[in-house]
Amino acid sequence: MIRQHENPVAFKAGMFSLGVHAILIIAMLVSFSWHTPQPISIAEVELWENLPVAPTVVPPKPLPEPVKKVEPKPLPEPEPKPEPEPEVKEEPKADIELEKKRKEAEKRKEEEKKKVAELEKLKKQMLLEEKLEKQEALKEKQRQEALRKLQQDMLADDDAKAPKASTAKSSSAASAGEVDKYKAMIQAKIQRNVNQSLCGDGDPELHYEITLMPTGDVQGSPKLIKSSGLSACDDAVERAILQSQPLPLPADPNLRAEFRNLKLKFHPNE
Amino acid sequence: MNVANDMSLFTLIAGASVPVQLVMAVLIITSLISWWYIFIKLFTIKRAETNAESFENAFWTGGDLNKLYEGISSTRRKPQGMASIFEAGFKEYIRHKQQGRMEVSDVMEGARRAMRAAYNRELDDLDAHLPFLASVGSVSPYVGLFGTVWGIMNAFRGLANSAQATLSQVAPGIAEALVATAIGLFAAIPAVIAYNRFSSGVDRMAVRYESFMEEFTNILQRKS
Repeated sequence: MIRQHENPVAFKAGMFSLGVHAILIIAMLVSFSWHTPQPISIAEVELWENLPVAPTVVPPKPLPEPVKKVEPKPLPEPEPKPEPEPEVKEEPKADIELEKKRKEAEKRKEEEKKKVAELEKLKKQMLLEEKLEKQEALKEKQRQEALRKLQQDMLADDDAKAPKASTAKSSSAASAGEVDKYKAMIQAKIQRNVNQSLCGDGDPELHYEITLMPTGDVQGSPKLIKSSGLSACDDAVERAILQSQPLPLPADPNLRAEFRNLKLKFHPNE
Repeated sequence: MNVANDMSLFTLIAGASVPVQLVMAVLIITSLISWWYIFIKLFTIKRAETNAESFENAFWTGGDLNKLYEGISSTRRKPQGMASIFEAGFKEYIRHKQQGRMEVSDVMEGARRAMRAAYNRELDDLDAHLPFLASVGSVSPYVGLFGTVWGIMNAFRGLANSAQATLSQVAPGIAEALVATAIGLFAAIPAVIAYNRFSSGVDRMAVRYESFMEEFTNILQRKS
């Protein structure tokens, strides 16, 4: 291995050799960061946090609530004047109104649950006991309700939540109505884009779950919860959902939270 | 992919397949030995140079050659470098002179042959281990490359078995395999540099010895 004349330096050289390798290994351990960072998931989180602040411009301001309230008010004001003068004439009117009310109440009974009916009965009793002024007030309420109903009928499908919303109390009812309204708008917009020829002759029903970003775009791809049985129909609805982007969303950020995860029911052939 | 999170040097080496580990072990041993030889050569060549320096100083100061010879041969240690050449040549010259009745050219020829033999021995000592450094410098990158290729082959074979191919499945394997190349290069680069430096150092020493031999021959010829 080594020559005789090299013996005196052999040990020293061996130590130096080991030292060089030790230095190299230490340098490698110190200078490299051997742990790989994973920035991808962090980036996703930031996206979600940042976006909700930005938009505000996207959808037009939801007018309907204030409009409804403003419209009925001007109507009753001129009316109270004729009330006190002809008492006799007013009574039949009240009767007619009562009948109307009853009819509507019956309609509602069919659609809604018993609670609504009880409320209506209570209201009726109140009406009977008290006089024309209160009847007038009721008139207003009825008109408001009728208006609301009309709009809901126009906009919404027969959603289970719609009637509930109409009977619920003021603010929550208003927001629920708003949510339903926008849901209906979303559904209507998607419905327009569905290619109905792909869905056969019957009335297939399918459920999709979508995740909406605050801009109204669909995040990822819609998730099929209940298939219609026709894969072509399912695909058509999915395409329609993606084609309808951006979907209408309320301007109010509190309401928007309700739209993050949406479950939508479709009847493509209706 | 926990492997990707913990890529320390030791887990990389421990996680490699057996052939790759063998290659790494061979390369680490080679590297240790080659560095050992590098330091040995560094010290011995330096020592030969200082020895030659001091001997030339003693020789050219013009002292008595017999005294110088006795000083060298009386020490128990075997003379090295230029001193051993001088000793061999002068011993042969004295022997020839003691026998008498010899032609001057024959005496010179004998002394010259003795010096040549001593010179060859010295040069052989100086040249020691240089071939080893040369082969480490040229071969160890290939050995490391072999380990890397083997490791990458394994990594890709593992990739073929999985349905979804992602980079994180191959990355640890390739990193492990590349450690072999790194070790090979770490062994090879110093070996090549050392080989070039030492062979030029040995050449310079050889020229110095040869010129000393010529000059000493001239001095002996003048004496006889």
